[in-house]
Amino acid sequence: MAEKGFPGTLQALLTSLSLRDEISTEEVALIEGLARRRRFLHRGEELVSQHSQPGESCVVLSGFTAREVVLADGKRQITALHIPGDFVDLHALLLKVMDHSVIALTDCEAAYVPHRELLRVIERSPHLGRLFWLSTVIDGAIQRAWITSSGRRSATAHLGHLICELYRRLAAVGLAEEGRFAFPVAQSELADALGFSLVHVNRTLQDLRATGLVSWKGSLVTILDFDGLARLSQFDPTYLNLVKMPR
Amino acid sequence: MPRYYIDSSDGNFSHVDHEGVELAGDEAARYLALDALPDMVREVLPDGDQREFAVCVRDEGGRVIYSASLTLTGAWRPTGESDGEDGPALAS
Repeated sequence: MAEKGFPGTLQALLTSLSLRDEISTEEVALIEGLARRRRFLHRGEELVSQHSQPGESCVVLSGFTAREVVLADGKRQITALHIPGDFVDLHALLLKVMDHSVIALTDCEAAYVPHRELLRVIERSPHLGRLFWLSTVIDGAIQRAWITSSGRRSATAHLGHLICELYRRLAAVGLAEEGRFAFPVAQSELADALGFSLVHVNRTLQDLRATGLVSWKGSLVTILDFDGLARLSQFDPTYLNLVKMPR
Repeated sequence: MPRYYIDSSDGNFSHVDHEGVELAGDEAARYLALDALPDMVREVLPDGDQREFAVCVRDEGGRVIYSASLTLTGAWRPTGESDGEDGPALAS
């Protein structure tokens, strides 16, 4: 393992970008040439703090991270989950001050890229600039899907939808296959992501298992019938934009 | 920290908690149990006119130390019976 501060590989970012459009050799070189610092985080540590004004944006290289908003009484909403290849705070390049924190849900590795480096690359390649823009637009599309789940889907469909989404996102970057993926989060974290009480998470998991569409043992999620789960959850992957096309 | 088991029923589907959860104390367990009630209600209503939602907390020894329930009682009203200015006429 490289020491803190040593530039890490940005392969996960390149994989993520190339899911949605062709990346030229020059663009690959621009991404690989980005100055960055690498950081290893333990589960529970903050990647980015609320109200901070980061001078760099952070790409997840391994592990699960979450955006969180914590209320004064300690209640927490996880508003997004991020996987390797995702920029967790690219919007801070424009928004400046963070309105939420990003935490490590599992031990993870991240690369922090100075904003001036991102600006340099965007100026050299407006196409990469658009792809960075696309990543924040897709973050927004995912938020719409989550709001719809929170507001209108049944608990079982909400959980099913999240499982379908995570599977498709993870499979696209080579971190899930044959219906299986590791999702090592506590039930209380799942409760905070779904907006359910802890007891209701347990009930919903039991209900979902009873459908025979999903098995969830320890941290291993196995989708036994993806089409069936997608039907139950009304999962339509359009919002994930996992389509390669000129952008 | 002591472990608590929180069972729940929406009148149709019962969940018996075999895993349990470690909590600071009885009050935290009561909070978690009550927190589950509105989630269950939201999930199944509107669905019929009679329903009972119940939760209970068991301690490590399996003893029920707290229980709570919410009851739905719905009924059609005879025609001609109007609501008062102060709101719906409630059965006394």
